[in-house]
Amino acid sequence: MTEPARRTVVSAENLSKTYGEGALRVEALKPTSFEARAGEVVAILGPSGSGKSTLLTILGLINAPTTGSLRIGEVQVIENALPRTSLERQRRQQIGFVFQRSNLIPFLTAEENVRLSLEIDGVNAYESRKRARALLENLGLDKRLLSLPAKLSGGEAQRVAIARALIHRPSVVLADEPTASLDSSRGRQVMELFRDAAHAQGAAVLVVTHDHRTLDLVDRILEMEDGRLTERARAPGAGRSPA
Amino acid sequence: MMDLAVRDIRHDLGRFVLTALGLGMLLSIVLAMTGIYNGMVVDATVLPDTLGADLWVVQRDTKGPFAESSRVPLRLAERLRAVPGVSRTRSYVSFNVQRTGVDGRVQRFMLAGLSWPDDTGDLLLLAQGRSLRAPHYEVVVDVSLGLPLDAQLSIGRDVFSVVGITSGMVSSGGDPMLFVSVADALNIQNDLSNEALRLEGEARLARVRRSEYGRDPASLARAGQPRLPALTPPPVNAVLVDVQPGQDPVALRQRLEQWPDISVYTLEEQRALLVRGVIDRARRQIGLFRTLLVVISAIVMGLIVYTMTLDKMHSLALLKLLGARRGVILRLILEQSMLLGLLSFFVALLIGELLFGHFPRRVLVADSDRLALAGVVAGISGAAGLVGLRKALSADPNQVLAS
Ligand SMILES: Nc1ncnc2c1ncn2[C@@H]1O[C@H](COP(=O)(O)OP(=O)(O)OP(=O)(O)O)[C@@H](O)[C@H]1O
Ligand SMILES: [Mg+2]
Repeated sequence: MTEPARRTVVSAENLSKTYGEGALRVEALKPTSFEARAGEVVAILGPSGSGKSTLLTILGLINAPTTGSLRIGEVQVIENALPRTSLERQRRQQIGFVFQRSNLIPFLTAEENVRLSLEIDGVNAYESRKRARALLENLGLDKRLLSLPAKLSGGEAQRVAIARALIHRPSVVLADEPTASLDSSRGRQVMELFRDAAHAQGAAVLVVTHDHRTLDLVDRILEMEDGRLTERARAPGAGRSPA
Repeated sequence: MMDLAVRDIRHDLGRFVLTALGLGMLLSIVLAMTGIYNGMVVDATVLPDTLGADLWVVQRDTKGPFAESSRVPLRLAERLRAVPGVSRTRSYVSFNVQRTGVDGRVQRFMLAGLSWPDDTGDLLLLAQGRSLRAPHYEVVVDVSLGLPLDAQLSIGRDVFSVVGITSGMVSSGGDPMLFVSVADALNIQNDLSNEALRLEGEARLARVRRSEYGRDPASLARAGQPRLPALTPPPVNAVLVDVQPGQDPVALRQRLEQWPDISVYTLEEQRALLVRGVIDRARRQIGLFRTLLVVISAIVMGLIVYTMTLDKMHSLALLKLLGARRGVILRLILEQSMLLGLLSFFVALLIGELLFGHFPRRVLVADSDRLALAGVVAGISGAAGLVGLRKALSADPNQVLAS
């Protein structure tokens, strides 16, 4: 099931990020332009310190870019000039986050962690519980609804985190090395989840990864080198397999 | 929005309860301080309040037995009774007794004389037994002395039976009070050993021999109004005067003040004297201590809430990352702080309820004191919450990515 319109949900122009001043100045992200469309899974590769996380924090509206402009969904974010409260709302509604680990709030159960994404945006408890359960059951976690994160295995925790990132149907999902702490088969499962979600929900999924074995599951590959982003030509045989 | 504060607390309930227990103990001391102070005020004035006389007549230019030594003749009561407007007079005598009981423990009490038969102790707060029915060898004791009814108590050279037990009758120093007739009290106070009595008798004889009448017994017959070196009965400390209904105690007092040998105080003045004189220092001491405890509680609570916040920094950063409103974080921190305060407050009340009755001196906690404590706790919790909130709002979503 593919999104017919394939609209552009992320559009970045000349984004750059410089940390520090003078001798401590680090140009973590050099002026970069790119787009991501609905239903797309984009892998971001690159060596350590090349600026991958920096890019994600800017796309995630956590850090302001030093220069450039950014559009997420329908909202234009020029150098993050939006007021804080509307940035928060954009994050609540438009963006889903997944990280390497410690994604979950330790004092909330799996179900509550997922519900959180909905409830911070005002969805009532009944509705959020219903939707969270449905999604978690879909991800094979129906036995884990009431478990605290400490009681979940790494793969289970990561699936809960993905459920939390998807439950509110964001237009962009940002994932920073989500498979790094998983073995290869579980890592692959996670990437499959992203692909299915992108297709089913029409979200653009941007995944920072070192795991080259799962690249066959992604639509595009961006490579980061010393703060510069380049699109890699598609490897033969890789890419979307017909659903 | 689900209640994050409660869920976080539930996650580590043991720690939270233990913390509240500790904080509650601290707050219970604040409450105890208030109660001890109130108790001191009541204890200090319970005697004049219970005796309830309108006027206290004492030795001229003294402030009366609660402040200093005051001696008035036993017969003053009769003189005063003759004054128009006076309905009743009672002699009052009291003194402290400290002695070692049969069990070797030090007993300290205050003995007061009741003006038998005018005053048999009906006004006393009797918990058991009865007031005095005989002029001698009966005693009403306070329950804090620990004696049962019908117990035999030897004071001085006499043995008294306990006929009544009061509750809460203590001296301004907090010692239990004992009541006997004035005659018995004077006997005890002026109790002399046989040898002392013999010496006193000889001294008296010698005085008479040395006097004019002793040297020349015939002169006694010649004297119209002989001035004998009489033995006066021992003095009492004060006379309590009740004013007839409809009479103004202040007017009577002004009339009595004309007498050159006495000073007169109203009940209110005697109370003020006790409250200001006896407990003023203690009051300031307790007040200061209580303030200190409140400050300490505030600091401790601030630290606790701060640490509780520190433990959650990652979750708070994650909440911010997900785009939670500031209100979500505000509620999480302040609610926890308030819940901690609330639980501690009830722990303090409970401790007070269980323990304050067993304190050696009266601890009197009024509802207004509990309310005041609730206010203080709310203030402390609010302040502590703000300390935590300051930290919480500094949580950086970047930390989630960095970890
Ligand atoms: N807050 C910051 N202040 C200063 N420099 C920073 C900050 N965050 C990142 N950097 C620097 O920016 C550069 C890019 O960092 P970034 O974390 O984006 O790299 P990365 O590609 O995610 O690396 P890794 O694969 O190790 O996670 C690095 O040189 C880093 O030291
Ligand atoms: Mg990184």
